Amino acid sequence: MKKPLYQRVIGYVVLVFFLVVILLPFYWMFVTSFEPNSDISAYPPAYFPHQWTLSHYAEAFGQFHFGRYILNSVIVAITSTFFVLLFGSMAGFSIARLPIKGKQPMLIFLLIISVFPPLVVITPLYMLLRDVGWLDSYQALIIPYTAFNLPFAIWILRNYFLQVPGALFEAAKMDGASVFMSYWRIFLPLTTPGLFTAAVFTFVACWTEFFMALVFNPDNTMRTIPVGIALFSGQYTVPYGTIFAGSVVSIVPIVILVVIFRRWIVSGLTQGAVKG
Amino acid sequence: MKNKVKRWTSVGLASSAVAALVVGCGQANNAAGTANANGSASTVASSGATVSVAGVRIAKPAHLVNYKDASGTIVWAESFTTGPTASELVSAFEKKYPKIKVKLQVQPSNTDTNRADLTASISGGSSTPDVYMGDVIWPAQFAHSQLAAPLSDYLPTSFWTRFSNGLVAGATYNGKVYAEPLFADTAFLYYRKDLLAKYHLPVPKTWQQLQTDASYIVKHGGAKYGFVWQGADYEGLTCDFDEYLADAGGSVLTNGKASLNTAAAKQALSFMRGLITSGVSPQSVDTFQEPQSENVFTQGNAVFLRNWSYAWSDSQNPTSSKVVGKVGVVPLPTFAGHGSSGYSTVGGWDLYLNPHTKNLAAALQFIDWMTSPQAQEILAANSEMPTIKAVADSPSLAKYSPVFALLPKVKFVSRPAQTPNYPSVSRAIYDNVNAALAGSVSVSQALQNANQQIQQALNGSGSGGL
Amino acid sequence: MSKAMEEHVSFRADHGGASVVRHDVRAGFGMLTPAGIVILAVTIFPILYSVWMSFNNIQLTENGFQFTFNGVQNYADVYSAPLFWHSVWFTVYYSIVTVAIELFLGLLIALAIQNVEKLKSVSIVVMLIPWSLITVISAEMWSYIYNGVYGVLNAILQGMGFIHNSINWTGEPFTAVIALMAADIWKTTPFVVIILLSGLQMIPKDYYEAARIDGANGWQTFWNVTFPQLRGSIAIAGLFRILQAFGIFDLPFVLTQGGPGSTTTSLAMLGEETLFTNLHFGLGAAVAVSTVILILGACVIFLSAFRGMVGEEAQ
Repeated sequence: MKKPLYQRVIGYVVLVFFLVVILLPFYWMFVTSFEPNSDISAYPPAYFPHQWTLSHYAEAFGQFHFGRYILNSVIVAITSTFFVLLFGSMAGFSIARLPIKGKQPMLIFLLIISVFPPLVVITPLYMLLRDVGWLDSYQALIIPYTAFNLPFAIWILRNYFLQVPGALFEAAKMDGASVFMSYWRIFLPLTTPGLFTAAVFTFVACWTEFFMALVFNPDNTMRTIPVGIALFSGQYTVPYGTIFAGSVVSIVPIVILVVIFRRWIVSGLTQGAVKG
Repeated sequence: MKNKVKRWTSVGLASSAVAALVVGCGQANNAAGTANANGSASTVASSGATVSVAGVRIAKPAHLVNYKDASGTIVWAESFTTGPTASELVSAFEKKYPKIKVKLQVQPSNTDTNRADLTASISGGSSTPDVYMGDVIWPAQFAHSQLAAPLSDYLPTSFWTRFSNGLVAGATYNGKVYAEPLFADTAFLYYRKDLLAKYHLPVPKTWQQLQTDASYIVKHGGAKYGFVWQGADYEGLTCDFDEYLADAGGSVLTNGKASLNTAAAKQALSFMRGLITSGVSPQSVDTFQEPQSENVFTQGNAVFLRNWSYAWSDSQNPTSSKVVGKVGVVPLPTFAGHGSSGYSTVGGWDLYLNPHTKNLAAALQFIDWMTSPQAQEILAANSEMPTIKAVADSPSLAKYSPVFALLPKVKFVSRPAQTPNYPSVSRAIYDNVNAALAGSVSVSQALQNANQQIQQALNGSGSGGL
Repeated sequence: MSKAMEEHVSFRADHGGASVVRHDVRAGFGMLTPAGIVILAVTIFPILYSVWMSFNNIQLTENGFQFTFNGVQNYADVYSAPLFWHSVWFTVYYSIVTVAIELFLGLLIALAIQNVEKLKSVSIVVMLIPWSLITVISAEMWSYIYNGVYGVLNAILQGMGFIHNSINWTGEPFTAVIALMAADIWKTTPFVVIILLSGLQMIPKDYYEAARIDGANGWQTFWNVTFPQLRGSIAIAGLFRILQAFGIFDLPFVLTQGGPGSTTTSLAMLGEETLFTNLHFGLGAAVAVSTVILILGACVIFLSAFRGMVGEEAQ
């Protein structure tokens, strides 16, 4: 169904305006990461670098184990996202569609967990992980990330399961499908936008989490990207070039993931899943 | 408190009177944790034998450890962060003591993030890092919270005589030494030789003269700004403010009580605010930490810079500096009528021992070696100021950096860090000073607020703990 | 109310006999178990621990934390501090303003993406960039942009002739708040866009068809179909943005250090500082628990004001 012309024109104008606004600061970071130090704090600034240099990238990868940090971040974020989606969609489906008691207290409880400032729970959580001997490991991050991101995922997925017409559930039951099968075969495919949203949210949250990663995994081979970039600064220096180079690189895996899952993402987010 | 801020009469902290200055700004050494500075440097645990060493009275070692044949692996949390200093130190150490391996754990450079990380793991009972680097203002707080072990319990009393006097006193809390001074830091005035020569102006000896010189040069188009320093809402502003305050003859605490309701404090803060209102310092100086202020200077946009000793090598680095060869450095100025040069805040970093370490002997061996002449030479070669007399007093030190040659002329003021509540005290200072710099409160209102909040923080209980 | 909306707000769908219901209940709890185990195992102990901390005077000793119960003393101390109330006020107005602007802009952008033919996938990728930037890094980036001496923002504004003298963005109370809000809105509006965009996909197409047949114009279609159908998603986006906004920490931590003075000191910053800078664990826990209660209050107000999900489901 094609939208009326005036709607499309307004849409393009609004969209292009905001895309530019969103990209401008990032553009600035991007070009700065290629500028030699002497140009970085020049005023007035050069909107396009006079000379290009890769020295900041070389420093990020040479002096620091940035490749390793990326690998760690990818492993932790993908694994956590997988578990959050799996467990979260089952729980969300259960709360949305099954006749269990105590749904509202559960939802409130989940909300409280996602509200709780991570800084307060860091010390007791550290003691837990130390007692089971899991410091400096992937699970030291995967398990807390999964736990702290599940509440949001359950909330959002429950919302999408509620929007799938209930008649589908009854029809599946008539056909003799088990509860789990109707969740797996019917509901999950119909809620791709929700799964996508939850996935992106979880992935980004794990990708950017700083304080747990800093405290739980002090070993240099187990650092993640946010912690790694925080180590770039000196006591009295903010090496903008190197920090920005690291940040630009940290975007790359996200872009790659988006390209890999492009079909799913675009269809999930732009072509309605529900044919009413 | 004038008697507590003394002139540094030789390289390093050689005069024992300086001991009084480093401790003197308000100890909080009685059991209740309240401050009762009385100017005396000797504060002692109530029981047990004590000895006087390096200008401070400390308890005799309770569990002397023989670490001659130590072996094993220890983890050292270091916050040099960039540069090869830490790995140079470790490889020299491992060469000398092949039975001990040192694993580096790189810490974030942001002091608060670093402290939060160390606190979370050590309070959680972690045995690593065995040894960690920490700020010189941490000993009281870390000792009070059992985050650092009392080194003087394990090391012989004679160990402490190697340090320039005053430094050990700064690391002492309740009569025990909790930190080993690793390297010191000092602030200087950096200036543009070429600009002063061009406008036929002398290097300023007083703050008033600096202001006049700077506005003259700015007015005649020599530079965009006159003077840049650290005015942001953070610990560094406490350092800057304390210097002006000491220059004006004031101090944060007098006899253990907040004393910012004085004419000296008013002179100090009015002058700082005046730097901004007169256009000598950019308005945004109230958002500057060390990197931003240094950037303005090395880009050639300012005549004067207040910064720590590291700024010398940065200003001479052609890849980032546009003023290579045009920079001079002198001790900070003072207010007219207050002597020939001003005060620098005592800065620097110490080594601390994790109380839960599982390899005490190896950790002590490492701590011992880190203040050996060999290690301190490595630090000096990396532009860090040595803390032991044998290296700090050596005339050959000046070859590493011209700022080392200026040390005999520098006067020192220390922050009132002898209370476990120092972070709240400092916050009371930098929050209110920063508000005054931004113009959102008047100078006298800011000082009144600061004075009241410092007093609450010193009491250490109730809302003063926020 | 539409059929889908009824589905959306009612908990119980019709079911068959009692045995089927019992079976469904068992399956329901079975499907809750994995998430339940992970959440309970990881979060319950730390949360109870920190709540317990807030009712104790805490000393760190060689053997770890030593608790001395002191009732509500920590809370009394916290509530008597002007700085606490100052940061409550800052956190509240900061959150309300940023979330309101983000919801408005997010809806606008999501509708724009919905209405265009091309640029859709490009837009989604672009939306992900600010959002997936590490917050501390985006704060560093903004501090570089806002810098009062060599920042590019002043250069652009001066170049375009809007201002003559450089603006000291993060160094004056009013502009510091604006600067923080702008950086936050830049980073998190995409979050709202993604949620609303996926919410838009869940609106059955025949609703639009029906509206078209009824001769509704674009504006009427928006108010009668899109907006009511999107309320659940708006509520979710608003709810979780409120949670995040009330916990704002990294951005002021890097950009303004809470200054000038304590203008931009948020509750989370105050809590972090009390805990990990001042090492007053009891007081810090009390600040944190108070923050949680405040946020929950804000969520309830938001949801009931929105007549959102929790309220309607309670029927």
